[in-house]
Amino acid sequence: MVTVVIAAHGELAEALVHTASMIFGNMEDVASVTFKPGEGVENLLNKYSVIIPDTQKDVLFLVDLLGGSPYNAASRFVADKKNMDIVSGVNLPMLVEVLGKRLGGSDLKAMVQTAKKAGVDGIQAFHEWFDEQQMVNSTRAEEGDELG
Amino acid sequence: MKIKWLRIDSRLIHGQVANNWVNHVGASTIIAANDSAAKDDLRKTLLLQVAPGRTKSYVMSVDKTARCYKNPAYENLDVLLVVENPTDVLRLIDQGVEVNSVNVGGITFKEGMTLISEAVSVSPQDVKSFVELDKRGVKLVLQQLPNTASSDFMSRLKSKGLI
Repeated sequence: MVTVVIAAHGELAEALVHTASMIFGNMEDVASVTFKPGEGVENLLNKYSVIIPDTQKDVLFLVDLLGGSPYNAASRFVADKKNMDIVSGVNLPMLVEVLGKRLGGSDLKAMVQTAKKAGVDGIQAFHEWFDEQQMVNSTRAEEGDELG
Repeated sequence: MKIKWLRIDSRLIHGQVANNWVNHVGASTIIAANDSAAKDDLRKTLLLQVAPGRTKSYVMSVDKTARCYKNPAYENLDVLLVVENPTDVLRLIDQGVEVNSVNVGGITFKEGMTLISEAVSVSPQDVKSFVELDKRGVKLVLQQLPNTASSDFMSRLKSKGLI
């Protein structure tokens, strides 16, 4: 199973993991890393090393800001490792769908693609989206025995 | 249609169903069988918005779900079926849907209901239907998430003095 590490500024990572447990209960191989005022990239690298003692394991980092310290530290950590990757812009839609796909047996490569897509697809403007959907829905008949 | 999992959940399709259970049971399709949601454009649209990319999801009336169940075109379709309450499970069975066990996952509390676990409340009508399902040999299991504890639902109703 691919280990998922959420790393973000402040307490965001812990809160995201805690919130995801509403949907997944207690999760194995999921870790959160906080980045607090006064800390630097070296502190984060230490934290990553403690969480991931076995660097042969597949690991997906989900970090908050592209170019932020959690991202920069993770970049150094994974740069020479093909079994690890990073996706930035972590949000709840991304995390929830990645964990779901992991349950379904996805590997690292598939989880990276899921993360990128779910993180973006989870952002919609209601009227723009709904107005389009309603036209599709209203054409669906209640009769017959075909799905839809 | 192969019903991989039948769940009672009054929120129908939401995160626990669309991201957790569907992957856990290995279904390719989620069907929410619910008469009022099938007629309610807003609710239907919101429910269909939940299911992630490759999972197909549908919101249909109970009757239409039973008809689709019998359509040979869907013979090999692995389905996670969600209904709002046990009465709708009985309606599906009465229309020929084969049901051996039901996962009682979540029924939101409303006035007049009895809370029987963190996530499940039952109305007097629900209790009647659960008793009937039990009589027909359907196994009823109380469980919220794949990795949380499961328990016998009828024993729970008994321990709460509801039957």
